[in-house]
Amino acid sequence: MSSNQIRAWVVRGYIVLFFLYLFGPLIIMSASAFNTSSYPTITPWEGTTLNWFVELGENDRLVNGFINSLWIGAGVVALSVPTALAGAIMLMQVSERVRPIYYTIVVSPVLVPGVIIGISTVIFWERFGSIVGLDYETTNNPFFLTIVGQSTFISAYCMLVFIARLQRFDKTQEEAALDLGATHTQVFWKVLIPFLRPAILSSVVLAFLTSFENYNTTVFTMVARGTLTTELAGLARFGVNPSISALAVVIMGFTLIGAVIYEIKKRREEAIVEASKKRAAMKRMKDTEAAAQQAAAAA
Amino acid sequence: MSSVELDQVTIRFGDFVAVDNCNLTIESGEFFSFLGPSGCGKTTILRAVSGFNDPTEGSVRIGGKDMRGIGPNNRPTALIFQNLALFPLMSVADNIAFGLEVAGVKYNERRRRAEELLNLIALPGQGDKMVSELSGGQRQRVAIARALAVEPQVLLLDEPLSALDLKLRQHMRTELRSIQQRVGITFIYITHDQGEALTMSDRIAVMSAGIVQQVGNGSEIYNNPATAFVASFVGENNAFSGTVSRAEGKYAVLDTAFGPLRGINNRGLKEGDDAYLFIRPEVLRPAKSGDAEGDTMFETVTIKEEFEGSFLHVFLKSDNDAKPFKMAIVNDAGVERRDPGTPIKVSFDPDRAVALPVGELADE
Repeated sequence: MSSNQIRAWVVRGYIVLFFLYLFGPLIIMSASAFNTSSYPTITPWEGTTLNWFVELGENDRLVNGFINSLWIGAGVVALSVPTALAGAIMLMQVSERVRPIYYTIVVSPVLVPGVIIGISTVIFWERFGSIVGLDYETTNNPFFLTIVGQSTFISAYCMLVFIARLQRFDKTQEEAALDLGATHTQVFWKVLIPFLRPAILSSVVLAFLTSFENYNTTVFTMVARGTLTTELAGLARFGVNPSISALAVVIMGFTLIGAVIYEIKKRREEAIVEASKKRAAMKRMKDTEAAAQQAAAAA
Repeated sequence: MSSVELDQVTIRFGDFVAVDNCNLTIESGEFFSFLGPSGCGKTTILRAVSGFNDPTEGSVRIGGKDMRGIGPNNRPTALIFQNLALFPLMSVADNIAFGLEVAGVKYNERRRRAEELLNLIALPGQGDKMVSELSGGQRQRVAIARALAVEPQVLLLDEPLSALDLKLRQHMRTELRSIQQRVGITFIYITHDQGEALTMSDRIAVMSAGIVQQVGNGSEIYNNPATAFVASFVGENNAFSGTVSRAEGKYAVLDTAFGPLRGINNRGLKEGDDAYLFIRPEVLRPAKSGDAEGDTMFETVTIKEEFEGSFLHVFLKSDNDAKPFKMAIVNDAGVERRDPGTPIKVSFDPDRAVALPVGELADE
């Protein structure tokens, strides 16, 4: 065996190991959802069943947690995305001198441990409520606290997405719109927002997913209630049964379907853009030739 | 009727004076160009007219009305940006109709106006295309249509041809000029390209370092430059530096490194003044046997020759090693070639040589 062949086999072996490491646990867990064994395992295979999915549906804590997670995710999106957009636009407006300071301040929540954000959110609103004289139920509402608490750092993530997009925004577009008579509000809705549309979509997805899987902050701000993530963590402490594997299968299924739909859509759009570019390039070539001929004829 | 008046306009950014006491009246329906090297303040003037910045001192009036404090969206001007700034996410028709849309014009009326303008710019029926599907020249015309859609009194153009290749640029010059004649509104055109300014404009303002050096039509600026900067910036020119030894009638005679040389004295140079004598390459010619000796002839040696078909360009040793003189000889039957280093007598018509006070020269 030549050294080249040895190298090829080593690389292949490495790739197999790498993917096993990545997907092995997922595969085993998914399979365990269909095993009748009362502990999530694939050995011994005691029999094939879909009962764990039924049991999952009957587990009120998980189902309620899941519903809570959806509401909170929606609330975080509604709060974080506009906040992030405002923060990012502000960053573009402030003077060069203030910009680094401003940036550090608004991005800092990303660096603060989630536990601290969680505890401080609870304490702050409790204090704030009693100072301002708000009703205890309002400022200690777990949904309110969780949405506000998570948004402190999720809006910073979203802002990074917006900044990246805004840095490519051509200011002359804004000036052109103004020059053609648009008001600043019209410039915002007709020029800036359409330009930011992809960033808005990605930050919505980012905000929702980050909220959905958050544990550190949520475990404090949900007080006595739970989201899917905190309920799962609670279950894990008392030993698990394969209905958790069933949940994993469901979540993976949804993720895969979403990813496939997104990919198909993206490829279709790219194909359209490519085609129109090709058409334009052909046209340009023809135009240049025509202009050259005209110029030659004129000369 | 005056369209745009600049009345003692000075624009400063901190300590930097971008425009220094500019006084100009641009007539209605005129094609007016600001010509100057980059950083001379021409774009700043354009932005002051369009409303993106107000002058530090003085006033900008459009149609007799002082524009101070009126934003770009409320001025009767439309600007064509250097990069065109078309909206990439909108169709061609939506781009053109943008100004109408924000003004609240109904969809059908907008479509109708857009189609009219597409006809004007010779792109009929192309309204549903995206901007990315158009060629450079077509985008140029869409930008013009978009600006014309709001029916401005003044169209401002900020070097809109600079991104095009040479052929297309020449084609668009003619096109721009003919669109201007068809719509009949004032065009204010910014450029550093003297060819563009000379071919398209009714009048040109030559600017340098924030100061308007001269205002006039193309031939005035080319034939009778008012300052050393204009003489050296517009077209090619040979600058002979020297001191005025005699000022007699319309002429001044300069003492130069090549002996006394004579030229027109429009700027009132007096004996003893430091001055330049500007003689264009096409004014210089090899001396013939009958030519008068004296202050319309000098001797030098050739450095090299370049043959360009219709012209033979002869490079002559000047008083400055970095910048040889140039002589352009029309390639008629008798054109004679010389080896480098050949001594040569050169003569010129003193009525086409211009004596001007020393001043900043344009660097090439």
